[in-house]
Amino acid sequence: MAKLVLSTAVKFNALVGALALLTVSAYAKCADITGKGDINIIGNAFPALQHISKSMEVCKRSGLSIAFKMSSEARQETERAFGSAGVSAFDAAVVSMGTYSVLRSKGQLQPMTDLVNKYRARYNIEERMLVKLNDEVLAIAFMQNAQSLFYRKDIFDKHGLKVPTTYAEMVATAAFIKANEPSIEFPIAQTFAKGWDSGTEFTNLMVGSGGRFFKSGSAEPAFNDASGERAIELMKSMLPYMTPNALASNSDDVMNQFQQGKAAMGVLWASRAARMDDPAASKVVGKMAFAAAPAVMVGGKSATHLWWDGVVMPKNIAGDRDTVFQVLMEALGEDTTRSGNDTAIWIRSVYRPTRFAGGVLSSATAGAPIWPTEPFFGLAHSEIGKILPEALTGRLTAKAALDAAARAYARTATEQGFIKPTRVSTHSQP
Amino acid sequence: VKTKTFFQFIAPSLALMLVLMAAPLVMTGYLSVRNCSLQMELVKAQESTPFGEQEILSHQAKLGSNGKALQTCEFVGLDYYRKVLGWSDSSSAETKKSAPQNEFLGALQFTLIYVFVTLPFVLGIGFLLALGVNNVTQKLKGIFISASLLPFIITPVVAALSIKWLFRDNGLVPYLLSHVGIQVFWMAEAWSARLLIIIYGIWHVVPFAFIVLYAGLQSVPQDSLEAATIDGASRWQKMRYVTLPHLMPLIVFLSLIHLMDAYRVFEPVMVLTQGAFTASVQYLTYFILLQENNPYKASAAAVLTLIGILILLIPLLVKTYREQRGGQ
Repeated sequence: MAKLVLSTAVKFNALVGALALLTVSAYAKCADITGKGDINIIGNAFPALQHISKSMEVCKRSGLSIAFKMSSEARQETERAFGSAGVSAFDAAVVSMGTYSVLRSKGQLQPMTDLVNKYRARYNIEERMLVKLNDEVLAIAFMQNAQSLFYRKDIFDKHGLKVPTTYAEMVATAAFIKANEPSIEFPIAQTFAKGWDSGTEFTNLMVGSGGRFFKSGSAEPAFNDASGERAIELMKSMLPYMTPNALASNSDDVMNQFQQGKAAMGVLWASRAARMDDPAASKVVGKMAFAAAPAVMVGGKSATHLWWDGVVMPKNIAGDRDTVFQVLMEALGEDTTRSGNDTAIWIRSVYRPTRFAGGVLSSATAGAPIWPTEPFFGLAHSEIGKILPEALTGRLTAKAALDAAARAYARTATEQGFIKPTRVSTHSQP
Repeated sequence: VKTKTFFQFIAPSLALMLVLMAAPLVMTGYLSVRNCSLQMELVKAQESTPFGEQEILSHQAKLGSNGKALQTCEFVGLDYYRKVLGWSDSSSAETKKSAPQNEFLGALQFTLIYVFVTLPFVLGIGFLLALGVNNVTQKLKGIFISASLLPFIITPVVAALSIKWLFRDNGLVPYLLSHVGIQVFWMAEAWSARLLIIIYGIWHVVPFAFIVLYAGLQSVPQDSLEAATIDGASRWQKMRYVTLPHLMPLIVFLSLIHLMDAYRVFEPVMVLTQGAFTASVQYLTYFILLQENNPYKASAAAVLTLIGILILLIPLLVKTYREQRGGQ
């Protein structure tokens, strides 16, 4: 048996999740930071963050070590650390607004108002970077993201097509391209993968048609109504113009479909736009253009959502909050925006928008709403994303799928205290 | 003295097993019968973000005197087990009919398909490879062994990604197939998505079976084979009555390892299909932990997963136990 255990242990087994632990070193600016200690920061892994972590390197010196952990499971690790009974394993975290909403509602965020006032001038902290709840600064945002319409300008020009402003126009344009453009078999490419991706598409379309996810003033589900059904029907109407692999197509796959010249249009994350012009990976360099994500209804708002990413500190912080704040602000300084201008859509006013950012900016102009801020929204989102394939493949009706998602969501929201249980558990113990 | 020495020798591994295996198991069991939630209240607040100001009506946790959110923990018995298994659904028969299949049972079904379909292929192909390499000349053996081991060396996530890239839209396989007039969308339907994961499973694990069986072939007693030849046995008969019985303990060992390993299938599901048509039990636990962010429910799913593997292993464990006792 021992041999067996040993063999099992020796067996291959790799940790999932790309995890990069960057311990950084160097010195130069950051001269004003006098604090010492070990500073641990966590965030997801994406190009803008890699850029930020590099500019943080500069602050490391003897007595002040800075470790920036980039993990694909940053959200879970952040929530666990910020919610732990002892001190948090991380002194700061880079979060998107979905995670912010959860941490904020759990009262786990360290207010930074005094620090912002103290250092506003030194780091030129701009008012629009501040995320405040009742005048208390809880996060400092540095970049935004949203989906925008990617389309093949060359094909649109060749056939004299108009850039669609509604989903109905997009489907009609797709039908035209499928019939008349031999190089494109599946004109639409969008992230319909089971789970987070398709849940996000649903959210865009549902909110875009004026639907509400929850009953007003409560966490009770309301998405299993006519507007939810409409959103699913709309998704189904796009399927004939998408690759049959759509239900497993995530952002990487959709980006690949565009880069290979196999798709003519689709709504995708703006952070992928610059990759269209990467000659090493793309066959459509210079051929793509970006516009506002189409609306669901004629005259409606652009059916996408605005996101921001920012830094937060936990209430149960282990290190010196003043020092941690200074290091964060050094890393988010104006020079970071300038030197990494093309890696993100920065919030700082020194940012110079590129053509890749055009889609997001026009989505915003076309009234794209802010991503839902309810702390329980993520639970509804994941239940919907999980069951959508059943509705899209026709195994369940839209109504049945949404009802099942609503039931599952209500259960998880009750488990986590957002919905009051209807019956008191008989098993309680002190 | 003998007992003392015995314990001194096994103490390190016993301690390790307690800390790394038994303790987490007990902890998981403990978590699975509990639930903690925050006390939420609805509050109106003014929120400003880079996109402007808005009044929000939001749930906020009640804070205790120490500034921390008040948490209520309770013993919930087997509630989470019932939920994972779909037994707690109090909905009417009508809604049940139109509801999707229970996730855990669905995941268990695919996991078992995966385990039992891959097993014979892993053993069969591994054995054929071992025989093949055993019969090539000494010079070529090194190359063949290295080449055969390659899939086994690659990290599972990377291996799964490379399979995905081969089969996705515009991938090499669909491209080649399109030249002979075949168009298959591998991630579009249950059978093909499942087949892909099974192909991955076989490809990735065959080298392990191969290397173990190849080692076994080196120790097949030559005198028995010679005696069989003298008795007029054919090649097939020598294989059937000498080689295979000799390899039997290794085959049982491989089956045991593969059953345990395949039951934990996770990476290809995560990378290839993100669970579309192919959720496995391990993936489900991960999903509950990640998406629902509920460690209690995930623990219940984990314990159920563990019970599943124990049931699966009973026949082989009984056999091994009997053999060990027989050996004494």
